[in-house]
Amino acid sequence: MRSAWRDFDWFLFALVLLVCAIGIVEIYSATLGTKFASVYIKQIYFLGAGLFLMAVFSRIDYKALLEVAPWLYVASVGALLTVLVVGRAIFHSRRWIPIGGAHLQVSEFVKLAIIIVVARFFAESKAPPGFGDVLRLGALVGVPMLLVLAEPDLGTTLTYAPIAVVGLLLGGLSWRRFGVLLLGFVLVLPLAWHHLHPYQKARLVSFVHPEADPLHSGYQVLQSKIAVGSGGLWGKGMAQGSQTRGEFLPVPQTDFIFAAFAEEHGFVGAIIVLALYFLILTRLIQGAQLAPDKGGGLLIMGLVAVLAFHILVNVGMVVGFMPVTGIPLPLMSSGGSSLLFCFAALGMVMNVRMRRFVN
Amino acid sequence: MNPRRITLMEAVLVGWAVLVCARLFDLQVFNYGFLLHKAERQQLRTIDVSAPRGVIYDRDLHPLAMSLRVDSVFAVPSQIHDIEATAHALAGVLGLDEKDLAGRMHASRSFCWVARKITAEQSLRLHRLDLKGIYFQKEPKRFYPKGTLAAQVLGYVGLDNKGLGGIEREFNPEIQGQRGSMLVQVDAHQHSYNHLSEHLDAGENLVLTIDENIQYIAQQELDAAVASTHALRGTVIVERPSTGEILAMATSPSFNPNDYAHTNPSYLQNPAVTDVYEPGSVFKIVTVSAALQEHLTNPDEPIDCQMGSIWVGGRLIHDHARFGILTPTQIIQHSSDVGAIKLGLRLGDDRFYKYIRAYGFGQKTGIELPGESRGLARPPDRWTPMSIGAISMGQEIAVTPIQVVSMVSAVADGGVYHSPHIVLDRFTGPRPATLPQYQVPLGRRIVSGRVANEMKMMLEQVVLAGTAQPAQLNGYTAAGKTGTAQKVDPGGHGYSKTDYVASFAGFAPLQNPAITVLVVIDSPRGGHEGGKVAGPVFKRIAERVLPYLGVPHDVPVNSAPPSLLAGAHPASEGSGRSRGELADAAQAVTDSGTSDTAEINGDQQPYSPAPGSVIVNLGKGLTVPSFSGQPVRVVAGECERLGLDPILQGHGVAVSQSPAAGVAVVPGSKVLIRFSE
Repeated sequence: MRSAWRDFDWFLFALVLLVCAIGIVEIYSATLGTKFASVYIKQIYFLGAGLFLMAVFSRIDYKALLEVAPWLYVASVGALLTVLVVGRAIFHSRRWIPIGGAHLQVSEFVKLAIIIVVARFFAESKAPPGFGDVLRLGALVGVPMLLVLAEPDLGTTLTYAPIAVVGLLLGGLSWRRFGVLLLGFVLVLPLAWHHLHPYQKARLVSFVHPEADPLHSGYQVLQSKIAVGSGGLWGKGMAQGSQTRGEFLPVPQTDFIFAAFAEEHGFVGAIIVLALYFLILTRLIQGAQLAPDKGGGLLIMGLVAVLAFHILVNVGMVVGFMPVTGIPLPLMSSGGSSLLFCFAALGMVMNVRMRRFVN
Repeated sequence: MNPRRITLMEAVLVGWAVLVCARLFDLQVFNYGFLLHKAERQQLRTIDVSAPRGVIYDRDLHPLAMSLRVDSVFAVPSQIHDIEATAHALAGVLGLDEKDLAGRMHASRSFCWVARKITAEQSLRLHRLDLKGIYFQKEPKRFYPKGTLAAQVLGYVGLDNKGLGGIEREFNPEIQGQRGSMLVQVDAHQHSYNHLSEHLDAGENLVLTIDENIQYIAQQELDAAVASTHALRGTVIVERPSTGEILAMATSPSFNPNDYAHTNPSYLQNPAVTDVYEPGSVFKIVTVSAALQEHLTNPDEPIDCQMGSIWVGGRLIHDHARFGILTPTQIIQHSSDVGAIKLGLRLGDDRFYKYIRAYGFGQKTGIELPGESRGLARPPDRWTPMSIGAISMGQEIAVTPIQVVSMVSAVADGGVYHSPHIVLDRFTGPRPATLPQYQVPLGRRIVSGRVANEMKMMLEQVVLAGTAQPAQLNGYTAAGKTGTAQKVDPGGHGYSKTDYVASFAGFAPLQNPAITVLVVIDSPRGGHEGGKVAGPVFKRIAERVLPYLGVPHDVPVNSAPPSLLAGAHPASEGSGRSRGELADAAQAVTDSGTSDTAEINGDQQPYSPAPGSVIVNLGKGLTVPSFSGQPVRVVAGECERLGLDPILQGHGVAVSQSPAAGVAVVPGSKVLIRFSE
């Protein structure tokens, strides 16, 4: 292991740090003079904690993690139940557990467990999964999803699904079965609609017709588009985003941080950040292909699934492609739990990469 | 893991990335302008604010109008918890309607004016209240430090900082400076969190040709005259004849431009340029000077004035007196209508009209004031056969005071017409160290220097021994012409029996006149003759303004006007009525013992001294002036005025005299003057 640091992916690490740094600067810029003005300092602390967590996880043998997957799963479900019972309600939603001075969002860490569980699920099977496997996996991932949905936190709930989907696809699910699954999903959708909260429905409606009610549901999407568009080619400059500073842009330090960044740094800045994310994802996928075994590869692809989904949906939301779902932009958005999850997962990925020649 | 499926996932990522990039390009490049506009529209409330207006100075750079920075109050209602209580507090200090204010504050969340341009005291009290959500913005407020002085010239400024009259209106674009906007940046909750007012450059400063002291004198004397004659109103213009600079332009009643809102709107006009009147006999200057210039007469030609009536265009026109043979000098002196008509007839329609236009009638003078009227001088093809008669004596023609004063100035300046101007200079930035100099525009010759001189001699006779003896100056020679015109009856055709416009237009001193003064008194009660009503106003103004301008006396001071002493008109000698009235006048005379030597011109109204003026020593201390270098006419005039009996020998200019200059003589003494070419 001593020589393993040579195999630590410094390039990936540099990319991730760069995106985090951009995120911190943008958090600072977007919250300057508001009551969130000190949030960027918290983010720096969390980044430090994240780096520590990454170092720890890069030391833990991923195979051992795969071994203890069932226990991790049980612990996750237990934690989610606990948070539902005793968690602190903020914005009418019970997601957080206070630890130290910070509030940790349990569902973020459950994500890591689910990545490990799904990797374990497919790591051992040789044959392509059948419908039975699909049902078992569905139940396995479905239980924490329902628990998170009950908090309620639709955004995070949705982020669990891509882990399972990517697992199924890479686990060898035939296209025919995948098609049947997709069809079934589409048929179930209207049923799910009835179980959505009114504000969640409103978000979806406003996504389709954003101008229908510009002051309420469509407001956020509209303001986001105005922020991005008024940034122009080069942007308004740091701390000059009037959409952001005037609080037209909702939560510019979290869900709409990409809009705030695009307003202040323009098309050029936005493209650079997107390119950084694209490099991170391709670097991870590269790492997955070089993984020593299927389990390691699936672990990495699980993280790719989560990150890609976050980026796709968040940026899509900012530019008006997708409805507002409350899914933050990983690494950039302010939020300790999300950052800690990312770095823990990255540590795990590093471990897989460092072990590719050990075996 | 299936590599093809991984490649597929990568392809999905690339496809998404391309889509997002295209969308970003669409938003940030294609729709940039549109979305930026949308952003600004929702983020910025622009509230118009004005730059401070430029200062209006008099010719010595004394400020006549200036801008002060005063507080305006606005509210950001969304920051106010209890709008009713706040409105109550504000209304108490500002004297506003509480309900109306609360209503306005409820109507907008981000911004509403509470009161514009409040007083310093109100501002202080509001600052002390320290109300939440109430803010102050400095705005320029126009202030006229001299109050009513030259109000009609300066004009006034509305609440929106726009000039609404006078110079303020005429030069509004220049004085106004930039019109800017205060940007109140509002956030999504309509809180105004920032208000930036850009630095606005002040407007241009204007320097007027007006002299505030002369203006003050003119205003004071005019106000007194309008009050004492119970006139509807009056106008005085003081002009420098050699340049056309307006030194004073006063209207009575005046108004206070600091409080124009509470002024009778009719007072806001400047009748010196906007109002027309029939000039009456003053216009005979045009008639006679034109006839002289066209060599149709000379000052001494005997003209039959037909004992006071003449047929013109089938109508019999009556003179105001039954004159027999008069020279043009006497026609002017006694203001004979028949004489003027006869000279007008010699000119003929077209030639007469040419001079009317040349003197600037029927067209704007171009003075830098708004609403100038061009008057009414119809071309000859629209004259009736009797028009020439009417116009010769100043009827059937409408003129503005500024046109008349310019015409008289042309005669005073040796026949050269200068268009009148009231703006001397314009500058931006701080006051210049040196006084700006007036750029004299090129004049236009109307009559020759000889004709102008002849006219000056004649006009001096008007003051010395004619219709305008109340206009005689103590210590200065003066010349001028009276005008007494019936006002056109507003109710129908013809002229009013009771309403007159009494005017006097004159200049002083005779050589190198320093000022031309026009006095117009509209509808005086009691007497209405120009000489009696307007003449004394001329006298009082000129006697104060000439010393102020440093014009040296050209007649000994303290000697009473000689026409009071020597009977210029033998016909009036021995009139008991005159003596009695003179005795009244002489009460103010310190040396009343001389009153029995004085006689008064019988067809003149008795001279009543101006309040405060003292006529002293009618008999003693008359000093023989130096006639050296002066032409025969001037010497004769001087002697007549002083009450000396000249014996004139030779032609040309005076070369010797006896007694010598400076010798004290009694009135009526003979003086021998020799002339040489």
